[in-house]
Amino acid sequence: MVNPLFAWITLFSPLAACVVITLFFLRSKTTSAFIAIAGIFISFVCCVLLFGQIFQTPASPAGGNSPVEFQQSLPWIQLDSLTIDFGILVNPLAIMMLLVVTGVGSAIFIYSQGYMAEDPSIPRFFAYLSLFAFSMIGIVLSNNFIQLFIFWELVGLSSYLLIGFWYEKPSAADAGVKAFVVNRAADFGFLCGILLLWSISGVGNARSFLFTDLARVVPHLDPHLLTVVGLLIFCGVIGKSAQVPLHVWLPDAMEGPTPVSALIHAATMVAAGIYLLARTFFIFEPLTTVLTVIAYTGAITAFLAATLAIVENDIKRILAYSTLSQLGLMVMALGLGGPLQGMYHLTTHAFFKALLFLAAGSVIYALHHEQNIWKMQGLLKQMPITGITFLIGTLALCGIFPLSGFWSKDEILALASEHNNLLYWVATLTSGLTAFYMGRLLWIAFWGKASTSSHDHPVHESPSVMTIPLVFLAVLSVTGGFLGIPHFLYPRAEHPSLNISVALISSVVAILGLAVSYIIYSKRPALDPLGTKLGIIYPILKNKYYFDTVYGWYVDRVQQGFAMVLFWVEEIFIVRFGVHGLTDIAKASGNVLRRLQTGLVQFYALVFVLGVVYLFFVMVTRL
Amino acid sequence: MSSFFFYLFATVLIFASLAVVLARNPLYNVLALVVVIFSLASLFMLLEAFFVGIILLLVYAGAVLVFFLFVVMCLNLNAPTFTTIEQSRFRSLGWLMGLTFLTEFFLAVKSFLAAQAIEPSSIRGTIEIIGKILFTDYLLPFELTSLLLLIAVFGIVSLAKGALKT
Amino acid sequence: MIRLRVYLLLSGILFSIGVAGVTTSRNVLKILLSLELLLAASNLSFVAFSRFNGDYTGQLIVFFVILVAAAEVAIGLAIIVLMYRHFSTIQADALKDLKW
Repeated sequence: MVNPLFAWITLFSPLAACVVITLFFLRSKTTSAFIAIAGIFISFVCCVLLFGQIFQTPASPAGGNSPVEFQQSLPWIQLDSLTIDFGILVNPLAIMMLLVVTGVGSAIFIYSQGYMAEDPSIPRFFAYLSLFAFSMIGIVLSNNFIQLFIFWELVGLSSYLLIGFWYEKPSAADAGVKAFVVNRAADFGFLCGILLLWSISGVGNARSFLFTDLARVVPHLDPHLLTVVGLLIFCGVIGKSAQVPLHVWLPDAMEGPTPVSALIHAATMVAAGIYLLARTFFIFEPLTTVLTVIAYTGAITAFLAATLAIVENDIKRILAYSTLSQLGLMVMALGLGGPLQGMYHLTTHAFFKALLFLAAGSVIYALHHEQNIWKMQGLLKQMPITGITFLIGTLALCGIFPLSGFWSKDEILALASEHNNLLYWVATLTSGLTAFYMGRLLWIAFWGKASTSSHDHPVHESPSVMTIPLVFLAVLSVTGGFLGIPHFLYPRAEHPSLNISVALISSVVAILGLAVSYIIYSKRPALDPLGTKLGIIYPILKNKYYFDTVYGWYVDRVQQGFAMVLFWVEEIFIVRFGVHGLTDIAKASGNVLRRLQTGLVQFYALVFVLGVVYLFFVMVTRL
Repeated sequence: MSSFFFYLFATVLIFASLAVVLARNPLYNVLALVVVIFSLASLFMLLEAFFVGIILLLVYAGAVLVFFLFVVMCLNLNAPTFTTIEQSRFRSLGWLMGLTFLTEFFLAVKSFLAAQAIEPSSIRGTIEIIGKILFTDYLLPFELTSLLLLIAVFGIVSLAKGALKT
Repeated sequence: MIRLRVYLLLSGILFSIGVAGVTTSRNVLKILLSLELLLAASNLSFVAFSRFNGDYTGQLIVFFVILVAAAEVAIGLAIIVLMYRHFSTIQADALKDLKW
């Protein structure tokens, strides 16, 4: 039997860690780290226990893809026509996601202790990280839309705090604001979708935010309204999972510390959108229009991001665009009606992308915060553990057999080939580009002879507190394909046998990409030859398709213009007429009224008599 | 017969009170008030309120107005300098107030007793009767007024003494 | 036979003249005298009511009113004397230290 207590502990353990650190330990570096790591590790243990319990529970005869589902909620707000619960919904999907979040999270927390060891504000860092963990687990466990939205926003807040962790750096502070604002815009659509869904889900008291209630009701609702709802909820996904056109915040989010990039902007938070789609897939399943929109958005994002990655020179930015690309693939999978494929790739992607980011962090740490790949050379020889794990991560990302990425990416490609040929070829092309730019990164930074020309300090391997998580994640990246994840998530779904042609084509494309990049980059040309070879396209790519330019223009002209208009309205109407007006009225009336204080007794007697006359008048006329 | 006397005394009363307000010389004001008190006392007699009438004469005309005259004479207030003081600036408003009041009063009285005339009763406010009530039902207020007069004396003496010191 | 109405009307006339006097007088002595007029007017109406209602209470009230008026006039005159000593005038306008 599933014991819900474990789920509650999983949720609140990181929050407790955050509160304890904030209240008591903001000065002690090691204690705060220990508390935070303990917090997330307790969550992880509880997740494992939950996992064990679900595994032992036989599948119930009740239908649906998730045979074991457990819900427990407390009524939180209860008004006449509105009920909002605070509760948890535990099913295999949630457990899978929780294991990823807490497992990868624990590894990254431990890693951070080494990476951020010299930073004076490390306690604040761990407090924020714990807050994030709490919020993310909250998203995973929520059983209703409003609670999910609250945690959604909390996650956005944690992301803002962590991106702008080094707030003295203006670029970091700006990046934090950018992430938050872009997400906010998307969440507006999300909230509209939630409320619209609630309002059509029944009459009066029967309306509900709960997923289980909505799953029952949705098949009977008007499909046109549901399409609007689906598109609006997808808005939230566009923001959180950085799809085009709201992808602009993710590359800038690399201003945050590398563990943050690994945890939030690779493995967990950005995957929240995909998780949401999978969790509430019952809404989207019958809506073909919305699914098409989702699929195409995903594909466009995947391809766009891959093209942008090939011209980047910052190691974290390359990985960021790679994340964008893979997220696009996951979203595309969901749009093609495959929540299983999407979640499978989400899980394996969490493994190897976190690995890649942590390895990159190890490199950055060893090179004293150098992030330009052209300044790195022969790292494989100088940092063997980091290098090998990075290599494993890269191969998994490119989808090389038999690493985990191969299996999950192939499922997506197979799904695409069945449903939409165009998207299939776009996805395949994207995989080729992925192999190309990752190879480029590999050959430039890790291959070849070690060179000490650009650094006076010798480069050596990072401490084991950082390399052990790397190894852990590398093992997961290798074995992830064999853990039986799809069967666990959706035991009822049919699993087609491996599509040989798709597997062959994807492998060939990947190897081709790696080979081409090897040819171009292994000899370390002085300048990136892409600049000349791509011609006109190069500046377009360098300027990120001018998305930032357009947004910047919009904010600068349109939004600021509007804001100035409002500012002047406030200045004139509210301040001048309202505030100053009131004070002027008070002053003027005071000036007038003080003339009553003549100091003459006779005048006072006159006023007195006036009062009496009036009073008498009232009495005479009323009586 | 008594109505003739009433109208006589009432007319004198009204004219005297007008004199109180309108005369220039303060001496004339005070003397006009004396006439007012006398005619008022007569009216009281007509109403058979003998006790209060006599008291009015004794206390008011005999003491209060004599005091007024004292002050007028002491401060030489009937000198020409005082009779040519400028007008009060609230003159018209004050008269207006008076007139308004009068009108309201008229209206009030008209509606009040429009129904029937009330016959005067046959009570006579003689000294015996009033005295008896005063010393039985109204004993406490009677004693308290003596206290009040004592305090008034204190007040006047301290006021005058304070002025002497400066 | 004089009815109550007439007495009350007479009292009202007296009162109105007193009111006019209080508000229009140029010197404080006249104000005080007009105050006496007011009191006299109310005395008259009290006695009239007493006579016509058959109740002695009205006359007793008049008795006390006269007493209190005496005390009040005494103090008022003392203040006027002080005022004359200070301002050398009894004009009401002289008392304007409380002006804004």
